[in-house]
Amino acid sequence: MSSIMLIFGPMLLAPFVYFISRGAEWVAKWAALALFVLLLIISVDLYHALPVGGGFLVLGDYLRVPGFDYALTLQVDALSVAMLILTAALLILVVFTSWEEKMQAAYFSLLILFAGPIFGVFMTTNLLWFFIFWEMTLVPMLFLVGIWGGERKVYAAIKFFLYTHFASMFMLVSFFLIYKQTGQMDFTMIKEAMLATPVLIWWFMFIGFAAKLPLFPFHTWLPDAHVEAPSSISVLLAGVLLKMGAYGLIRFVVEMMPATTMQFSMYMVVLGLTTTLFAGFLAIYERHIKKMVAYSSISHMGLVVVAIATVTYDGLSAALYEMIGHALVISPMFLIAGWVHHKTHTWYMDEMGGIMQKAPYISAIFVLAGMAALGLPGTMGFVGELTIIVSAIKAYGWWIAVAAIASLISAGYVIWAVRRAFHAEISPIVAKSKFDMSKPEFLALCIYAVLIVFFGVYPQPIFDIANNAFAMFGGM
Amino acid sequence: MTSVSIYLILPYVGAALAFILGKMNQKLAFWVAEIVGAILFGTSVYVFMHYGETPIDIDYTWIAYGNLTLPLGIYIDHLSIVMLLIATGLGFADIHFAHDYMGDDPDQPRYYAKVLFFIGGMILLVIAKDLIGAFAGWEFMGLASYLLISFWFKTKSAADAGMQAFLYTRFGDIFLLAAIGLLVYFVGNINMVDLDSLAKAGEIDKTVAFITAIFIFLAAVGKSGQFPLYPWLMNAMEGPTTVSALIHGATMVNSGIYIVARLFDFYAYTDALLVVANVAALSAFIGATSALVQKEIKKILAYSTMSHLSIAFVGLGVGSLAAGMLHLMNHAIFKALLFLSAGAVIYIAHHTKDAWKLGGLIKTAPYVALFMAMGSMSLAGLPPFSGFFSKDMIIAEAITHGSPFVYTLVTIAGLLSIAYITRLWILIFLGEPRNEDIAGHVHAPGNFFIRLPLGILAFVTLGIALYQTDAVEYIVGHEIEEPHVKGLLVGLLLGMATLFAIVVGLYVKGMNLLEKISKHRFMQIIHQLLFRGYYVEAGITFISKNIVVNGIARALRWVDTYMIDWVVNATVPFARMIFRGFRIGHTGRIGDYIGTYAIGVAIIVVAILIIVKGV
Repeated sequence: MSSIMLIFGPMLLAPFVYFISRGAEWVAKWAALALFVLLLIISVDLYHALPVGGGFLVLGDYLRVPGFDYALTLQVDALSVAMLILTAALLILVVFTSWEEKMQAAYFSLLILFAGPIFGVFMTTNLLWFFIFWEMTLVPMLFLVGIWGGERKVYAAIKFFLYTHFASMFMLVSFFLIYKQTGQMDFTMIKEAMLATPVLIWWFMFIGFAAKLPLFPFHTWLPDAHVEAPSSISVLLAGVLLKMGAYGLIRFVVEMMPATTMQFSMYMVVLGLTTTLFAGFLAIYERHIKKMVAYSSISHMGLVVVAIATVTYDGLSAALYEMIGHALVISPMFLIAGWVHHKTHTWYMDEMGGIMQKAPYISAIFVLAGMAALGLPGTMGFVGELTIIVSAIKAYGWWIAVAAIASLISAGYVIWAVRRAFHAEISPIVAKSKFDMSKPEFLALCIYAVLIVFFGVYPQPIFDIANNAFAMFGGM
Repeated sequence: MTSVSIYLILPYVGAALAFILGKMNQKLAFWVAEIVGAILFGTSVYVFMHYGETPIDIDYTWIAYGNLTLPLGIYIDHLSIVMLLIATGLGFADIHFAHDYMGDDPDQPRYYAKVLFFIGGMILLVIAKDLIGAFAGWEFMGLASYLLISFWFKTKSAADAGMQAFLYTRFGDIFLLAAIGLLVYFVGNINMVDLDSLAKAGEIDKTVAFITAIFIFLAAVGKSGQFPLYPWLMNAMEGPTTVSALIHGATMVNSGIYIVARLFDFYAYTDALLVVANVAALSAFIGATSALVQKEIKKILAYSTMSHLSIAFVGLGVGSLAAGMLHLMNHAIFKALLFLSAGAVIYIAHHTKDAWKLGGLIKTAPYVALFMAMGSMSLAGLPPFSGFFSKDMIIAEAITHGSPFVYTLVTIAGLLSIAYITRLWILIFLGEPRNEDIAGHVHAPGNFFIRLPLGILAFVTLGIALYQTDAVEYIVGHEIEEPHVKGLLVGLLLGMATLFAIVVGLYVKGMNLLEKISKHRFMQIIHQLLFRGYYVEAGITFISKNIVVNGIARALRWVDTYMIDWVVNATVPFARMIFRGFRIGHTGRIGDYIGTYAIGVAIIVVAILIIVKGV
């Protein structure tokens, strides 16, 4: 199969699925599941096809017209394949967790529609196409948040859309500036052609990706969007959309302009640490369970930026690990937070209490995911935090050890959330709620739990991918 | 090798099995735990018996990323074996004891799963070669401790106590995490064995060694309940007594001492030991004085735990690895005995924890009284019980090598132990029952599950006293010369006898006098100060509540809502304003358009003129 079908296949399929399944809604669900499993298999296959020792695997070159620079070049390296595998895996789990969603035909068609451009983002190295796919992911997201969301869904959806769209404009400008300077639009060509230190380009591009990550002070869209989005879409937002920002930061900022990045890396570290601590404190103060998780998500992405800013082999590997770890750790927390709200109809943790007595297993999974978020050994959170701290100290010196405070702050909000929502006496609101969960949803949560522990105890497979992805930084 | 795989796999598999099988049948959970505990203890005995000339030493690279590798090696030497015997032996005894104590709890599968997980963490800590493995074991225990303290999470106080324990110890742990990062960077080695030999050879920068040693000690302060992070240990008594016995009396709280002992040469390399000695001496004093006035059985024991851990720390701090480790070992055994006896008392009295509500139990439970008396005498440091030898040795070392501050406080703490433990024993067993309601319901404990472990522990407490010099030699690898301080023994014994007489006099014969004394205003202030543990908990709560949460976090929240997000939201009215400005021109009247058109053309013409002519 032509690899371009990975991108346009789902996009073409989506309307068909919608029209077919309007009469029989289950079709959409199973079609989505089948498609995402297929995508996962192909992604894993791609990983095995990668050249040994790093570098790109060229998949195709389309729309190449002489004298016209905007060819759709598809090539992947270990970093993009890691993102593809993560995306496909999360999409499968999202199907499980949306098993009983309303208006299934439209919902799952939009998910299928989302799968196309997100694969495009990670597969193309042409800046223009990258931008097109980047923006196209927003459209299904806008509808998924705006239609299936909570009370303030329209505000949140529009804020999310406009905010990230506005930030993308900076990115687009920087792409044009690059084109003006180098006359190239493809990543590999630009890397060779760029000689000068492009200060303006760097900052514009950085802002574009920082808003997606999100980095302080561009983070305020995220809590709103996450809170109003249905939980499964929060998983996509945190697990995939934020990773687009980190991916872009690594691919186009660090790999394309390593020298400039090193020049400004101190700003990145300070912003990353500020994000981590700032969001951590906000999470401590938060009564709203899903916002607490959202701030926790921001806090961890701050650490990813600290790792990226090292511009070293080990730092970037740690960043990639934490990106995957963050996706797997924060997702069950979002899902359970949303589920708790769905059952109790309250967002506020001080009105909950004693949920663990009524739903022990699901609460236990929340505790496990929380432990991973606070960096308990044996979970993915610990490996990410440890490797980031170690490589950041190596790159910047002893003072980066203050990042360890993040794991105290995260302990604070996680443990306090468990204490308020899950432990202690059953509150009146909890007493009259019924805590049930469909089997596929519970299965998805268990899969998350198993993955968190498995890759926390045995993290080397992910680091093998990372070592492959960043081998070119090995000599630095 | 087999033993190592048993250590690394069995506790976790056992925990899972205990939970799953226990869900089918409550009793199965206990038996799974009992068998796993027995196998683990048997493995430790086997390792002890078949220890070769050299330590078991396995290197393993856990993560290789970029240019860095993070190791996760195994190292079992004499020090580890002592800790392994303590952890698995007392763990086994504790599981056995829990059969009756936790017998009517509906959540037994969860209980045994957590206990086995805890034992796994403790084992991991003491067989780890690298700081990462040690940190993993350290945190596993922290998690298990949190889960077991809040085992009865239905009650708010238990949930609160668990949260407090986790956060207090976590505060220390982040320093250990930072120390790992710093050591990787500055020394390039986080192997504890190598760190010791590097320090011995003088190949580590002194500042780095001092700072990382202090960081690791801060983690130990949290875990071992030293000043100022001790209040969690007292509140941890909310958990089941079997948990307090195992985790908060005998094993986990020792891990701080163990890690300092493991890195002893690294600590001795700089002044870090001095810090250890001073902090520990202060903690010993605080613990001993606070234990004097507590009401709950378990809180008295908790403060005595704190005080005795500090005494062991002082032993290390004044430079004697042997004395510190010996006291750790002795203390672990007699404290497990005391806590389990307390558990038996609480079990007999239907979960009454207040010592002032008991009394006269010697008639119901003479054996428990006897075993607890043996534990108490060992804790008080009476010859010929084990506690005497190690405590005496530490005080002698402190007088020889320590500063006046250190040895004064540690001597006071050592002496006071006889006062608080005698008081406790008298309150429980002698006199008349103080609460008729409870006295009417007491029942005798069972033999096999309650009295047998107590008896064995009492026997060990007495028996191990015969092997004190062998134990020291085993731990440090050579004979050591005990310092002889003239008249120390006589002085200590005289002091103890006096205190013993005072306590017996007051609590057996002079209750009226005691009441009179305690009514005095000045005594009440002192009493409150000691009862509240020197208000350290209140201080920490104040800081975390008012400064961290309601201060910093609240201020940042304000910044987020009213500054950053305000700017974002303000773009909407701003944009609307601009659009309104544009809309003024769109009136629909043809005259307005022609006029605007004319003005526009004029501006363009002028602009062109200026550009063409001007430049």
